[in-house]
Amino acid sequence: MTAQAAAEQAAQVGPARSVVLQAERLTRRFGGLLAVNSVSFDVEEGEIFGLIGPNGAGKTTLFNMITGLQRLSSGSVRYRGSEISKLRPDQIARRGIARTFQNIRLFGNLSALENVMIAQHVHLRSGVLGGVLGLPLSRREEQHAPERACELLDLVGLLGRAYQEARTLPYGDQRRLEIARALALEPTLLLLDEPAAGMNPNEKHDLSTFIRGLHDRFKLTVLLIEHHVPLVLGLCDRIAVLNFGQLIALGAPEQVRQDPAVIDAYLGAE
Amino acid sequence: MFAVGYTLIFSILRIINFAHAAIFTLGAYFTYALTGSAFGYNGLLKNSALPIHLPFLLAAVVGAMLAGLVAIVIERLAFRPLRNRGADPLLSLVSSLGVAVVIVNVIQYLVGAENYSYPAQPYGNLPTAINFGLGSQRIPVRTVQIVIFGVSVVIMLLLTYWLNRTKTGKALRAIAEDATTASLLGINTDQLILLTFFLSGMVGGLSGALIGSSVSIAGPYFGISFGLRGLAVIVLGGLGDIPGAIVGGVVLGLAEAFVPVQYIAYKDAVAFAVLFLMLLLRPQGLLGRAELQKV
Repeated sequence: MTAQAAAEQAAQVGPARSVVLQAERLTRRFGGLLAVNSVSFDVEEGEIFGLIGPNGAGKTTLFNMITGLQRLSSGSVRYRGSEISKLRPDQIARRGIARTFQNIRLFGNLSALENVMIAQHVHLRSGVLGGVLGLPLSRREEQHAPERACELLDLVGLLGRAYQEARTLPYGDQRRLEIARALALEPTLLLLDEPAAGMNPNEKHDLSTFIRGLHDRFKLTVLLIEHHVPLVLGLCDRIAVLNFGQLIALGAPEQVRQDPAVIDAYLGAE
Repeated sequence: MFAVGYTLIFSILRIINFAHAAIFTLGAYFTYALTGSAFGYNGLLKNSALPIHLPFLLAAVVGAMLAGLVAIVIERLAFRPLRNRGADPLLSLVSSLGVAVVIVNVIQYLVGAENYSYPAQPYGNLPTAINFGLGSQRIPVRTVQIVIFGVSVVIMLLLTYWLNRTKTGKALRAIAEDATTASLLGINTDQLILLTFFLSGMVGGLSGALIGSSVSIAGPYFGISFGLRGLAVIVLGGLGDIPGAIVGGVVLGLAEAFVPVQYIAYKDAVAFAVLFLMLLLRPQGLLGRAELQKV
């Protein structure tokens, strides 16, 4: 099935919900290498959308393009109808797209609480001057921020370690802290880059429940990269499969699982 | 004090800004011009003076702000393009060295290479020296030096408070650790880096003016000689540690003061011997904590 046919088919299957993120013919070249080749897909409001594919298929590059870390070679990304591919990463983050990283990127020398509070920075409207002068609005916001940060830490089970430096936390805690930090941005779209990497089967199962819970509680749309196929199949509403930078399948989990091109990419190529 | 501005940029960006020495010099010259003093016999602006005569302290503050603006221009022209390309920090260092040379030469071209002194009594009616000794044991300390020390401490306290307690400061520390991630959390990194350069330039410019008022402005290369010692000071204080930079400055100053008069030419040698010992014994700086060993 070609990429275009897959996209069309998905468009017919998908329920009539509003589109949050629309990627159109996304392309990224690194020298002669086409890391991502004309990939198009829509992510609908409130869905959990999975992105799978073998190593080097271009999944993380795709994330980097959506969040503004890498420029597109061509194509466009629309978020709630407006073009975002020319914006800076901080502008995109302010519009409500948050992400985590495959290899955790916390501020290691700051405490867990500070990590979360830095992301709240965006939502404290009062400017630098207000902060310096201790204006009432900014004082109220600053008082509110730690409370909210603690709620988020509690949610990921890290309240007891709020004052511990992030780099001294165990691996699993760091992963969850990164998610808490992303949530502090109050995003509408959450991008998770291999959240289950390095977890054992039990933890993976818990994570799946956890992501589902976040999705319900914060009315999030989730875009998720994952290697662990059972987790993706169980969790996601729709799945896109990338291989060598190309979209080879897109659709509901059971449909993708039976797709010959997907079976070929995962079994034939290795 | 010179070292504080240096440290500020180093702690955020992990780059050594050699242009800081030139900004320091500029601060001194700006202040000189703003006090309405005339320039000398050489250079393009010979014998000209600004029509305004600001009192020294006001001139120093305005001069510091101008120096801060120059620092912003330097950031845009010499650092940002390299940073956006993801260039090696070593390249920024070379680039900043280039900027320093350009600024020094422009100064020389415009106002010549002679020494300038501020108008007499820059601090008004304060006595030129205060006696800290008891009875017959006189220990005079020049007022200028007390002012410089006092201003340094105040700036250090303000900056430390700002970095550790305010939102903007926290955002800056986040940039210091990982600028990419900071930007993904909605922090406008370019804008805050500009702010850092402005503050660093201001601190540098102000220290140029104050130190200039202590020893006179010794030509366009004025800042460069301080630049190398400033580098020693920030290593002494622990790279990127602002209170450490102040302590390092005091320690270095004392070490130099103990050099006997007949060996005064070896002052710089003492400074760098201290630096060398420091690197051997306490590479994390005077106030630094030992890095935790990764297991």
